[in-house]
Amino acid sequence: MTTAAIDPIKFEVIRNALTQAAEEMAIALRRSAYSTNVKTRQDFSCAFFDKDLRSVSQAFTQPVHLGSFVRHVPIAVERYGPENLDPGDMILSNDPYGGGVHLNDISLIAPVHWQGELVGYTACLAHHVDVGGGAPASVGAFREVFQEGIIIPPIKLVARGKIDDDLFRLVLAQIRSKRETTGDFRAQIASNRTGALRIVEIIDRYGIDEFYRYIDQIIEYTDRRTRAEVAKLPKGVFEAKGFVDNDGFTDGVVTLAVKITIDDDGVRFDTTGSDPQRRAPVNSTYAQTFSACAYALRALMDRDLPVNDGFYRYVHVNAPEGTVTNCVHPAPVVGGWETHVRLNDLIFEALAPALPDAVCAGTKAMQCHAGFGGENPETGEYYCFLETLAGGYGARSTSDGPDAVQCHGQNTENAPVEETERNYPVRIARYELIPDSEGPGEFRGGLGLRRDYMFPEEATFTVLADRDKAGPHGLFGGEPGSTSVYALIKNQGDGKHEERLSSKTTVQMQPGDVISYRTSGGGGYGSAFARDPQHVLADVLQGKLSVERARSRYGVEIDMAAYAVDRSATLELRRGK
Amino acid sequence: MASSLQSGERIDPIQFEVVRSALTQVAEEMAVALRRSAYSTNVKTRQDFSCAFFDRNCKPIAQAFTQPVHLGSFVELIPTSVKTYGADNLEPGDMLVVNDPFGGGSHLNDVTVFGPVHHKGHLVGYVASLAHHVDVGGGAPASIGPFQEIFQEGVIIPPVKLVKGGVISYDIFKLLLAQIRSKRVTSGDFRAQVAANTVGARRLVDLVDKYGLDDFDRYVAAVIDYTDRRTRAEIADIPDGVYTEAGFLDFDGFTDKTVHLETKITIDGETAFFDFDGCDPQRRAPVNSTKAMTFSACAYALRALMAPDLPVNEGFYRHVRMNAPAGTVVHALHPAPVVGGWETQVRVNDLLFRALAPGMPTKIAAATKAMMAQAGFGIIDRDTGEYHCNYEALAGGYGARATADGPDAVQQHGQNTENAPVEEIESHFPMRVSRLSLIENSEGPGKFRGGLGMRRDYHFPHDPATFTVLSDRDIAGPQGIFGGMAGRKAFYILNPNDSAAETSELTSKCVVDLKPGDTVSFQTPGGGGYGPPDERDPQAVLRDVISGKVDHERARDLYGVIIDLATNTVDEVETIAKRSHLRSSRNSS
Amino acid sequence: MTIPGTGRYRIGVDIGGTFTDGTLVDSATGQVTTSKVLSTPADPATGFIAAVKKLLQSESSIAPGDLEHVVHATTVATNSIIEGKLAKTAFITTEGFRDMLEIARQIRPSLYDLQFVKPPPLVPRQLCFEVSERLDAKGQVVTPLDEQSVAQVVERIAESKVEAVAVCLLHSYRNPDHERRVGEALRARLPGVIISLSSDVVPEFREYLRASTTVINAAVSPIVSRYLKSISEKLEDAGVTAELLVMQSSGGVYPAEAAVRSPVFMVESGPAAGAVAAAALGSSLGYPNVLSFDMGGTTAKVSLIRNGQPNVTKDYSVGGAAQRGTGAFGGASGYPIRTPVVDLVEIGAGGGSIAWVDSGGALRVGPHSAGADPGPVCYGLGGTEPTITDANLVLGRLDPDYFAGGEMPLDVEAAQAAIRVRCADPLGLSVEKAAYGIVEIANTAMVNALRLVSVQRGHDPRDFMLVGFGGAGPAHAVRLAEQAGIPRVLIPVGPGTASALGLLVTDVRMEGSATLIVRSDEVELSRIAAEFKRLETAGRESHKIAASASGDPVFERSVEMRYWGQSFELSVPAPDLPDIDARWMSELVEAFNDAHETAYGFRANGEPVELVNLRLTTVGKIARPQMKKLETTGTDASVAVKGQRDVYFAEDVENSGHEGMVQTSVYDRARLPAGAVFRGPAIIEEPDSTTVIHPSWTVKVDDYGNLVLQR
Repeated sequence: MTTAAIDPIKFEVIRNALTQAAEEMAIALRRSAYSTNVKTRQDFSCAFFDKDLRSVSQAFTQPVHLGSFVRHVPIAVERYGPENLDPGDMILSNDPYGGGVHLNDISLIAPVHWQGELVGYTACLAHHVDVGGGAPASVGAFREVFQEGIIIPPIKLVARGKIDDDLFRLVLAQIRSKRETTGDFRAQIASNRTGALRIVEIIDRYGIDEFYRYIDQIIEYTDRRTRAEVAKLPKGVFEAKGFVDNDGFTDGVVTLAVKITIDDDGVRFDTTGSDPQRRAPVNSTYAQTFSACAYALRALMDRDLPVNDGFYRYVHVNAPEGTVTNCVHPAPVVGGWETHVRLNDLIFEALAPALPDAVCAGTKAMQCHAGFGGENPETGEYYCFLETLAGGYGARSTSDGPDAVQCHGQNTENAPVEETERNYPVRIARYELIPDSEGPGEFRGGLGLRRDYMFPEEATFTVLADRDKAGPHGLFGGEPGSTSVYALIKNQGDGKHEERLSSKTTVQMQPGDVISYRTSGGGGYGSAFARDPQHVLADVLQGKLSVERARSRYGVEIDMAAYAVDRSATLELRRGK
Repeated sequence: MASSLQSGERIDPIQFEVVRSALTQVAEEMAVALRRSAYSTNVKTRQDFSCAFFDRNCKPIAQAFTQPVHLGSFVELIPTSVKTYGADNLEPGDMLVVNDPFGGGSHLNDVTVFGPVHHKGHLVGYVASLAHHVDVGGGAPASIGPFQEIFQEGVIIPPVKLVKGGVISYDIFKLLLAQIRSKRVTSGDFRAQVAANTVGARRLVDLVDKYGLDDFDRYVAAVIDYTDRRTRAEIADIPDGVYTEAGFLDFDGFTDKTVHLETKITIDGETAFFDFDGCDPQRRAPVNSTKAMTFSACAYALRALMAPDLPVNEGFYRHVRMNAPAGTVVHALHPAPVVGGWETQVRVNDLLFRALAPGMPTKIAAATKAMMAQAGFGIIDRDTGEYHCNYEALAGGYGARATADGPDAVQQHGQNTENAPVEEIESHFPMRVSRLSLIENSEGPGKFRGGLGMRRDYHFPHDPATFTVLSDRDIAGPQGIFGGMAGRKAFYILNPNDSAAETSELTSKCVVDLKPGDTVSFQTPGGGGYGPPDERDPQAVLRDVISGKVDHERARDLYGVIIDLATNTVDEVETIAKRSHLRSSRNSS
Repeated sequence: MTIPGTGRYRIGVDIGGTFTDGTLVDSATGQVTTSKVLSTPADPATGFIAAVKKLLQSESSIAPGDLEHVVHATTVATNSIIEGKLAKTAFITTEGFRDMLEIARQIRPSLYDLQFVKPPPLVPRQLCFEVSERLDAKGQVVTPLDEQSVAQVVERIAESKVEAVAVCLLHSYRNPDHERRVGEALRARLPGVIISLSSDVVPEFREYLRASTTVINAAVSPIVSRYLKSISEKLEDAGVTAELLVMQSSGGVYPAEAAVRSPVFMVESGPAAGAVAAAALGSSLGYPNVLSFDMGGTTAKVSLIRNGQPNVTKDYSVGGAAQRGTGAFGGASGYPIRTPVVDLVEIGAGGGSIAWVDSGGALRVGPHSAGADPGPVCYGLGGTEPTITDANLVLGRLDPDYFAGGEMPLDVEAAQAAIRVRCADPLGLSVEKAAYGIVEIANTAMVNALRLVSVQRGHDPRDFMLVGFGGAGPAHAVRLAEQAGIPRVLIPVGPGTASALGLLVTDVRMEGSATLIVRSDEVELSRIAAEFKRLETAGRESHKIAASASGDPVFERSVEMRYWGQSFELSVPAPDLPDIDARWMSELVEAFNDAHETAYGFRANGEPVELVNLRLTTVGKIARPQMKKLETTGTDASVAVKGQRDVYFAEDVENSGHEGMVQTSVYDRARLPAGAVFRGPAIIEEPDSTTVIHPSWTVKVDDYGNLVLQR
């Protein structure tokens, strides 16, 4: 083909159509899925790749998948061999050591053919609520990947449009919640089919040569914009050290280190100095670490930048092998997202001096999984449930951190109490904000939340979270948010007994037992004594802050009789500081 | 004999015998092929596998006896799997792979590969091979350990097609292996199973070629009839009556509640019936036996009471009748863990023999180790990154019998696996067996004493490793009968006699992370004694003392035999006095 | 307050951002009269009554008493939410869940935005209260309602001087007893305060969605109530005593009395009117399946109509960013409501949408809009950024001298200059090509919107007719149809005021529903029959207040179903069989399997199906006004040609041979005779709109003056 001019109109039209194809995949997936985790919490993503396995368009509901999923798909296809793929085939894969992440995240990849020619791939990833292994919902304090559930190397689940029954049965045999998972797999198939139809329509309309040519252009376009955005970032070397609080087995924290170099060559992330990998569920695969860096970089850029291969080529990551940021087989990886999300917090912490107005203070920075399962006494079925809980967001240079939201690459919804109680034998006894959990600051961190699960029947519960030793960091004089608490409450003859749990543990629940999550608040930004007393008053009136804490941490005296700030007492307090 | 073979149609007695041994030969050849081509020590050396041939109705016809425990479970697994998969979905050259504990299987390590055999387009039957794979994934290397749900135990394989038209299905195989730590060894063992079946199928086709399908069928039917008649006659020889016994498994891996077991055997003419009503409900602990495993215990017990030359096939199994209530430790339901089900199964076996003892005192032994004594470990090769797993089951003291001592350090009941040569495992894995010995004074004293238990110490000098004990007998040793005493209980010790590292006692069901330099000492129990020890021939006691199996204090205190250490002789006078004293205190208590 | 209409006239009033449109129909002759007055956002009732009076004055023969009814579409509820001008409202929920509205769905509205904010809860935390009680998922009492805790909460609410209270207790959709008792305690102590119970408003599970809906209902109720009261008074002052009906979000109308009680059902009253108009037009012409395309100054709205009924959704949120893509229940940036809303996709593509070149060199259109002030560059009111209207002008598709019937001359040079500087030069294109691009890119976004409501809901756009209206709709409709593969387009008479006409052709619809949540293989059939019976009785009762409806009510029964384990239901019409028996159930399940296959490409035969809600709509039929036919003149289209001009076309070059500026005939729509047939390219002008006919399309003028376009 000659260097024919690019028609900017056709460009925009094809670009939108490709994005739309991915969006339609996402809708098909969500609406036909069975598990609360997929259909309600939206723990999935969809994307289209070109024939050279470059990421072209995406419908990301979960940014964590942004970096990981696009790495996994090309590796899985190359391993299977594109030459072994016929029209109508789909391959399934979740291998953490084949570009994947934790085992629950299973990708289904379908080649797209047009007039017999392989023109690209549609792929969707869903977090399956259970993939077998050591505990219901496949989360827990494991020591090897073999304990974590079914490991799926790239295999052809669908051959020429038909599910391979033997493979499907073998996969399902490992899984506790078979019915739900069957439904979710079918939804993934429906999603890929929808995507392929759309892609074929686009090619029918523009012809194959134009299709390829414009895909190149779409990627180049993102490349140009990314380059321009990178050039705007401050140059320098920025470092931070931090840790994951608890590895589930030992007392020692898991040290994380990150160094970000921004120069004329672009942005490089280096995690050298992070701890060696552990026989504990805190290891991030390379794909997960890459995803943390990709998210951080993306968050510093123009919000409407379309992400594709033209963006990823600017994400340079050096994560030494054998560390918790790039673990090697057979390290367990189920809690790798805990490390991943903490890395994100660290990257923003490192960049804070250079980009004080762009970043936020420490957020909950943990995935905060709650997984449980057991036999449903009504149906006799093995049920599994998984959700991740929100916490306080970090404060920013001009605004408070929002209360009780997801952070960084994680944006899954909460499971409605009524839906959860209807489908599973559990009762949510409490779901509320935790007053006084914020990190004080001129702008305060968001509040953490509390969620209590009561089990009327026996069940197995797994906590896979973190932040049980230190709260999220404050910035520029802001203070840290509260630490998290995980507790088992037993109702014994003489009253309730509360026992603190590790942030990574599996517990057998007896009827009536309660697990209580209290997630951390976000870090504050700037000195708390500089906070507008009216904002402190508003927090007190809303019951988010106690009068006592307003006085001691913010130097603001509230007159509760008048619902007003006592100005002179406040001046006095603040002068005293 | 010839006339007794007539059942409707005329059977040529010579041809009958030729076909019968040819069928057994088929199974034996399968076993040879499997063993020769296998990779793992557990299969190739310890022979933890079995092979069998089934007719087109999935009735067992011939078996290669390597591990009796497997055969009883085969009997349910094959028909169930064929039914689940659909006989119509099986073509020539296909083989299914299956290990589903709730579809007729036992624990997950025992993986069966089987396939149909066709002769000129007609289904002749099925050849099957079962191997205990050293690792099938799950919670710990070698896939044994104190698990709480089946999902933690490794890959669960419903019947799926491993081989399609003679070719291994790439995706299925890849998916299976992905779950498994010791991929290289295990893929070798899988291929060995396929090879065994291929050999078996070929031999059967040869047989059918030779006799023609009709005659072949006729003789197969005759073989079953023959076993049926003999089995009935053998059962009729057992005194009628109701035999009961209760006992327990020492430790379930999690709670301090022993696992209660109850057996009742009713012999009535030509029928035997095993009833397990009263056994504990299944547990969230690795002590649950599947129905097939319990069936296999009954089959083994019944078979052990019969003439050694009885060929075992459908004609025998149809007489093994039992009631194992669903939801109990002898018939676990999904999703109970089953990896330690063999521990329960073998203890049930012990109980069955104890129950029958009053009825047939001369045929029965005192209690044996009656546990599988499973030891597994995993270690990652520093150089290659390859994950190695080892699995073995250790011997212990056998129970004493009416006329003989229990042998020292042997396998028992349905378990007949070899030991893994020290040289072999040390050449495969970066570890050392630092001690392998009989345990002095571990026998159950008796007129005939129990066998000695065995000690095997595993030392890991350079590398961290994960070690699993899945065993039992850590509360009480095997009981004696008719006045015999119990054998020494089992011990599992981390770093025995080591001053540098901390010594600690392990439970019988645990997974431990070992540091370089750690040692695990696995000490199995001695067998129970038969009859009062003060009736033991003093010369026999003397021999034990001289050989260092029993010390002289024990000889004096428990057997009432006084040894003159200077001359290595029995002091007969002192012995008589001591024994009369022992007897009077025994009678008064 | 209302007297059953006796007259032959009906009035519809639709309040938009800029204009308030009124339409009057003489049901005897089908004669339509329209009025347009400026909207009065500070007090919309003023504009409303002005439009009504203008209509009444335009026909001197009409006395106010001749009116049968007045139908109104209003955005008063939406605006009060978006602008945060809600009544002071308290919220009561189950102990342990006070923060339900704060925590909401725990997600962030934008993924990569470190500076994001959550929408503030509609009720501040100090007005959220807990009562001690608990039901389980079956509706059984776990903790009985503690009357004392209720009394305390009621007292505290009394002190806080609220106008409304919303109550949402866990699992009240299953058992409303506790909620009702709380409601009684509130009413006893707080006469005059609006009380909304979630079990009355939307008895469906998922607490936050139900709570949000209930709070909105409570918080807009005083506002809607004041507004409708003000309108009624003004109507009475003008001598109009006819019944006042209000358009619902779902496309039916309901009496003002019902609207005050359940205002959350009219949150999307305005946009629904357009869809209803398209549905009515399609049906009256024999096209029950149409795609409605309504493009105005700032946005374009599309929706799908099947069998004469707009598609209705309950995944909706108000006050949020444009609804698109995967956001469950409408994304995290607004407030979800779970009442039926016409399933429409609204995107920021209107005549005023601005075109720009981004930092990566891509030509983009929207989402920013020049609005009415300063408006497009060509208006000459100070706009500098090129808009879609400017592009259409440059392409010759608009006549600079006949915009708004010639009332507003347009500046072509200014439009060209703006497009050259902002778009053409940076991209190295000619001005015409850039202008063409602006229109095409906007069209692509609109095609995507069409796809969202059709293909994604399992409908093939080729089976539909596109109805294009709104001021800007007719200029884009044909090209959209081409791109989406839609074979036919309808441009109605008076496309600029078609929405207001839609108000006059809709029935009174009252929704009733009952939650079942039971598997088809476990349900007692008698229970279904009993529930439908109960809903029917309630429907008959509500029907009595709809004075304008004629005759007996008609009942539409449907069942919302899903595979056991899914969370999204598909609505399936109940089989039309005399008895609810095994056959009824098997037909229902089969209909569901079919619907699922259509929507998602697979059916799970034999898998348990769950019946979630039974739905019964009570329809009070309102007689359709007879549309006026054109007189047949026997002439052809040439009588309407008012001139020729160059218009830019670039698509479909192979078939048409046209590219670039093409000499094109311009027709005066008012003079087109019935039965006229002619081929594109062509431009058809009327005062409030311009229709662009692309090459290879044929125009047919039907008996009523509608343009039916075919390829």
